Amino acid sequence: MKMRNGNKGQIRVIETILASFIIMFALSFANILAITPTSPKYDVTELQKLGYNVLQDLDEKELLPRFVYNREWGNLRAALRVTLSSDVYFNLTVYDLHGSQINDALLFYGNPQTFADSTNIASVTYGLVGYPARVNATYQAVYQPRILILQLIRG
Amino acid sequence: MIAMLMIALMIISIGALMNRAVTYYKHEPWEEYLTLIGNIELSSHRLVELSLSNYTNTQPSNSSVLRSNLQKWQTDLTRIYPGYGVSLNYTLADGLYTFSGTAIRYSLGMNYTWQKRASFSVANASFDLNINSIGLSGHKFLTVALLNLTILSVNTETSEITVTVKKENGIPLLDLEKEDFQVAGLNVTKATSRYDEQYVVVYVIKCAGTITLPVTVTVWDSRGIKVTAKYP
Repeated sequence: MKMRNGNKGQIRVIETILASFIIMFALSFANILAITPTSPKYDVTELQKLGYNVLQDLDEKELLPRFVYNREWGNLRAALRVTLSSDVYFNLTVYDLHGSQINDALLFYGNPQTFADSTNIASVTYGLVGYPARVNATYQAVYQPRILILQLIRG
Repeated sequence: MIAMLMIALMIISIGALMNRAVTYYKHEPWEEYLTLIGNIELSSHRLVELSLSNYTNTQPSNSSVLRSNLQKWQTDLTRIYPGYGVSLNYTLADGLYTFSGTAIRYSLGMNYTWQKRASFSVANASFDLNINSIGLSGHKFLTVALLNLTILSVNTETSEITVTVKKENGIPLLDLEKEDFQVAGLNVTKATSRYDEQYVVVYVIKCAGTITLPVTVTVWDSRGIKVTAKYP
């Protein structure tokens, strides 16, 4: 009877060790799956959200189409710089539907080396349909889509 | 003991699955999808406004411009957002509608009723958006672009015309300048806005020379939409 009780005690110890291993394994497993706010994937998603919101905000204020169709590249760059925080670097390119680049000025802010080295670049695609241009005493409103590709990274 | 271990393993597996599910819902870019939907909605609305601007500024008017632009937009959306599986269907208003208490007879989604004391230009289209990649189907939205010009009074002694200019939902326009107004046969020297108890904002258009009745006033808003009203 004494021997049996002693064996039971040993088994409890083994059980406890095994349970500890299982808990350690589970915690490591959960840690691998989790996307924490400090992980690169999370940051890219956040930057994409930020990029979309900035473009949409400028579009709602009727500024984005004006800047793009009137080729006010300096104003567009300034608007993005003001709206985005200083540690967010950006590169905006405007294309027509055939993939030809429209912006003849560089719409860039940040360190080019950071862009070249970074593997976590957030990319946002935004579409515009056209903008009425005032010609003499009337308006010319032509359907002329533009595709905006905004790339963002943390500096 | 084996049973205990099995239960422990099951609990841990469920825990891991729950953790994965929570992480997915927390970090799947739902907000990005919402912004994509928002961008398509806003661009579709802009296209309706652009088409109305084209319709009201072109002589003779191209009544099928909205349909033609929307057909192109349907195709071009797949080029702008490749891989999302975006499809947009539209229905143009046709026939007699009542909008904000005004009876409007649409043809191919547009109408302009000019040369009246209360004149307007309007376009109306409803959309059905599907985005296969995120499992969105049948997202409906309506877009109406409207510009209303009403001549309230004409003072021939001071050569002043008082008007109200409103867009859809009866929202008064606040940013018009003298370049946005035209009075037939006369030069506009000044256009000032002021608060009015009944109409919220009214514009007083000052003309050079003497106003002879009937008088015709034209206005363009920042979207390029044109309306012409006549008094009396």
